[in-house]
Amino acid sequence: MGTLDGARLIVAGLKEAGINLVASVPDINMMELINLLYEDKEIAHVPVGREEEGIGVCTGAHLAGKQPALLMQNGGLLNSCNGITTTALQFGIPILLLIYYAGDMGDNAFHMVGLVTEPVLQGLGVKYTVMRDPAKVKQDIAGAVMAARSSKRPVTLLLTRAVL
Amino acid sequence: MKRFECLQAIATLVKDELFVTTAGGATAEWNAVHQSDGNIQVKTLGLCSSIGLGLALSLPKRKVFVFDGDGALWMNLGSLATIGLHQPKNLIHICWDNRQYESSGGEPTVSTAGNIDFAAVARSAGIKSSRAVSAVDELKEAVSHALGHDGPHFIWARIDPGRAEAPPLRYDELENKYHFIRYIEETEGTNILRVPMPASYRIK
Repeated sequence: MGTLDGARLIVAGLKEAGINLVASVPDINMMELINLLYEDKEIAHVPVGREEEGIGVCTGAHLAGKQPALLMQNGGLLNSCNGITTTALQFGIPILLLIYYAGDMGDNAFHMVGLVTEPVLQGLGVKYTVMRDPAKVKQDIAGAVMAARSSKRPVTLLLTRAVL
Repeated sequence: MKRFECLQAIATLVKDELFVTTAGGATAEWNAVHQSDGNIQVKTLGLCSSIGLGLALSLPKRKVFVFDGDGALWMNLGSLATIGLHQPKNLIHICWDNRQYESSGGEPTVSTAGNIDFAAVARSAGIKSSRAVSAVDELKEAVSHALGHDGPHFIWARIDPGRAEAPPLRYDELENKYHFIRYIEETEGTNILRVPMPASYRIK
């Protein structure tokens, strides 16, 4: 479910980094975060049905001048690999991918998805940071957003329970 | 009706609208009849409707056209539900249905058997302004209506198979993206690309 304090810190970090549109598909561990996004007035929240749609929505948002992020579970990363490759990477679209790391050490759900997550990101050539330190949340978000903007590529933050 | 004559008809109705065109024949044909930096090509089959949704939600005062295909829409049919959820007033989604994967050798799609009614699917997904057209005059009337009224709009355009002779695209996807973004910057008065100055260049 995550904690309200963890969710508030992430939303504050997103705003400070300039993120103003978040497409999402929920995961139970990001419940508090998604609830905050539903209420937030500054960040446009765009729930989608399948994660690859979110790659499309974020691409359109970037073309229009927004600074987008896609919030999803790592199963959704697997669902969106073609969109990441033939849209986000091929067109050079900066998108912050905020991905809950199911199957991480200490998470007993979806162990197989957890096993392939980092190799898939490496295979796609998508830079990532595993967020494990609550004290570094804002710093990790700011760094990832800067990396996405300067490289014009999607960049990933893997959210673990420690920061949620 | 042929897709090319439909596109020629639409070109007489539009000016500075934005056009997201599916991976397929519609892209080259549209650029042949309406060359504009407001056209953006799509490389991921099915993703044009989602890209159009992101554009429409982010630029609510601009009309955004999506040119989809029956194979592409089948691949991302869920996007109709997402459009129905968010109700972008400025989105005009047209599916050019030639009942085949034209760019993939003419193989059948879901539409080939004739069981699916895409206009009814869109309507059931919450896109109230949803029409089926099979003649150029009907299409022109539907597009004119969509331009003059709040949407979202969906138009199921049942066309004959076949491609027109159209020149290859002028830009690859990267150059297309930059031209498109510059066009948005100019017409919206915004600064999107914001190339940062290296810290070492800053005057102290």
